[in-house]
Amino acid sequence: MLGVKFKLAKDWHTYWENPGDAGEGATIDWILPKGLEASSILWPGPERIPVEPLMTFGYNNEVILLAKISSTNDIEFPVNIEAKVGWFTCKDICIPQEGIVDIQINEGLFVSSSYREEINDYLVTVPGDFSQDYRIEKLDGSFFLQTDISDGEHFDDIYFFPKEYGLTSYAEEQIYEKNQNSFILEIKASKADLNLSKFEGVIEASNKEGKSYYQISFPLTVDLPKNEQGILLLIVFAFLGGLILNIMPCVFPILSIKILRFMEHGENSSSQAYKFGLFYTLGVILSFLLIALLLILLKSSGENIGWGFQLQYPLVISILFYLFVALGFMFMSNLVFGSQMGQLSSMAQVKNESLESFLTGILAVVVASPCTAPFMGSAIGFALLQPSGNSFLIFLSLGLGFALPYLVLSVKPSLLSFLPKPGAWMETFKQFMAFPMWASALWLLWVLSGQVDSNTVLLVLVGGLAISLSLWILEKNTSPRKWLRWLVRFIVLILVVGSISIIPTEYSTKDTQEEIVFSEEILNEYREAKELVFLNFTADWCITCKVNERVALSSKKVTELMSKRNIIYLEADWTRKDGAIAEKLEQFGRTGVPLYLLYPSEGEPIILPEILTEDILLRYLNELS
Amino acid sequence: MKKFITLTFLIFYFPHFLSSYVENENNAPEFKLLDSYGNEISLSSFIGKKVVLEWTNHGCPYVAKHYETGNMQSTQEFAKEEEIIWLSIISSAPGTQGYVSSDEANALTITRKASPSHVLFDPTGKVGRIYDAKTTPHMYIINEEGIMKYQGAIDDAGGRGFMSRDLLKAKNYVKESLQQIGAGEEISSPVTKPYGCSVKYAS
Repeated sequence: MLGVKFKLAKDWHTYWENPGDAGEGATIDWILPKGLEASSILWPGPERIPVEPLMTFGYNNEVILLAKISSTNDIEFPVNIEAKVGWFTCKDICIPQEGIVDIQINEGLFVSSSYREEINDYLVTVPGDFSQDYRIEKLDGSFFLQTDISDGEHFDDIYFFPKEYGLTSYAEEQIYEKNQNSFILEIKASKADLNLSKFEGVIEASNKEGKSYYQISFPLTVDLPKNEQGILLLIVFAFLGGLILNIMPCVFPILSIKILRFMEHGENSSSQAYKFGLFYTLGVILSFLLIALLLILLKSSGENIGWGFQLQYPLVISILFYLFVALGFMFMSNLVFGSQMGQLSSMAQVKNESLESFLTGILAVVVASPCTAPFMGSAIGFALLQPSGNSFLIFLSLGLGFALPYLVLSVKPSLLSFLPKPGAWMETFKQFMAFPMWASALWLLWVLSGQVDSNTVLLVLVGGLAISLSLWILEKNTSPRKWLRWLVRFIVLILVVGSISIIPTEYSTKDTQEEIVFSEEILNEYREAKELVFLNFTADWCITCKVNERVALSSKKVTELMSKRNIIYLEADWTRKDGAIAEKLEQFGRTGVPLYLLYPSEGEPIILPEILTEDILLRYLNELS
Repeated sequence: MKKFITLTFLIFYFPHFLSSYVENENNAPEFKLLDSYGNEISLSSFIGKKVVLEWTNHGCPYVAKHYETGNMQSTQEFAKEEEIIWLSIISSAPGTQGYVSSDEANALTITRKASPSHVLFDPTGKVGRIYDAKTTPHMYIINEEGIMKYQGAIDDAGGRGFMSRDLLKAKNYVKESLQQIGAGEEISSPVTKPYGCSVKYAS
């Protein structure tokens, strides 16, 4: 073992194998006599050397870089070994340096020296293999390194030094969380993502005895390369999807009524019709592009979203519910928004109809949004994985497809000639179209009921009632007295504001599982009934818990198996300290979360590992009796 | 609800949200900086032309080697012939290595036979931080529409042993990417590891 010692002036440093954001590690070219070979450099565990706002990895003050020299056959002594060394010494500024060192080795018995100790001090910090099993999960722009730790081996801190550029962000803080039998380390992913196939580097584990270094290497699943031909196909599909959207129950009524309206008007101003078509198209496309922009922004902020995300918010669902109820009501009655404005003059009418067409375009996209979610979710989800430019193209194509039928009809109204002459049937048809609207409203309510409790659903229904009432009042509001009309409008405003203010903004039950809040009594009840129970001790601030919930507990296979086997899912949320939960944890010798308990129909509960994977969990759930 | 808050936040703090890193295929953020002749230069005024950004610091040994070997100058000349705008940006804070006066900057351009379109001063480091410039040199290519197309090293000579490497034999990523953009091809390495000295930001 030979070492090259770098003695640097105070506050100066040289670099590790991966220097971090700037700088570079040393090179050693060994000049060896025949028969001798040198290993590559054995790098002692590095230090973090921050250079705000950057982060570099290296060695302050002193380091010995090591190499193993071995002989392949007999060698002649004395042996002269030379090493040409190149390195950077840096403080605020960097100075490249090089030099040649040599050593003569004589034949003879081994004699211990102070050098041996020095070399050993560094040799022990050269990272060895990490003996524990570990896994890496990448979720929402962070890597999570998780591992079980055996008793007595406790680390106060862990830090990960990546081997290559483009994996993790050097400068950002890493978050270490220690559990009873495991730890988790959150490392922010690099913003420049090079799609590396391996998570490779060195971890520095510190405890009272000092620091130790281990090598980490874990395969990563690489994102599929972007497919250029796929894009064309996606654009075509988006276009077709847009076309089909026109006959979805959410959209069809709106459009058919719009078409009827312009059939009526079309008689006297057919030259203007195409104009309305264009304004409508503009409204549709702008709305779709706005949605695309919003999604791209959210995506680049690290949110893990796909299309359909809008239906994950009780707030959005409730507003859409009101909208559908109101639209249905408008179809039933004679209230058509904008109609009052249109009476001012013929000039203003044309102007307002253009605006109204534009607004109809926007409205059509808004009412289409719940229908697109189950229908086109995966296609749009895929579109979002594309570079932003392509995502825009896909949304543009979707909008064009969506607007096309109405645009065509407005340019060539003669296509409508197969329809009966305008007349009384139109009123009937319009009224009938209220039903698909209300059907959509019902469906939204059903979605909502999965997210909030029944009392909240009732509140939203009351809101719907208030909206309907206010529309009815508006329709009847024909008093000749001006102040009375304004008073009534004021009342309507209060009703509408009131119904919006009672909209829930938070989940009142959890999203994934039917979960019941833990209490000792509930647990005992289930135990007496000889039910199988899964008890999850968790907390919002517990990273390990959240990762487990994401990768294992909320996986489809797991939830399916739980419901198939009638396993009761109990959650003990320790986000806020709770005496009963603390007591329960103590029973199992724990002072903190996570803790996963699986109760068989009889006998003692099984304690699950702190690190859950889908496979581990499925195995335990299957074996439970 | 959390996502909603993020969303509102994003809409109102859009510029802030952009600071720190610009992914390829996104709009290169606008900036206005003074050049070495005292003119205010804005990125948006070059729409219609390709733009190369070069983060530089003449005292940095990496930069010095690229200029001593003529590697940087030949890349600049290549760009000039293609009518590509070349902006050399200095983000060194006052008092740190690489911080120069206008006269010094112009003298450096002449003595080094460099041909940037402009040498820009970013003493607060604001622009450097927005683009997440880490090293000198650190190179960026922006296309005619103002879209970021390439970011990283000037060539593949980085890594341990840089000082003894022959730069004229290295693969020049900037030239390659510019040629590929010109030919309408995919850029073969749109993100590479920038190498060099750290940018001497004001702390």
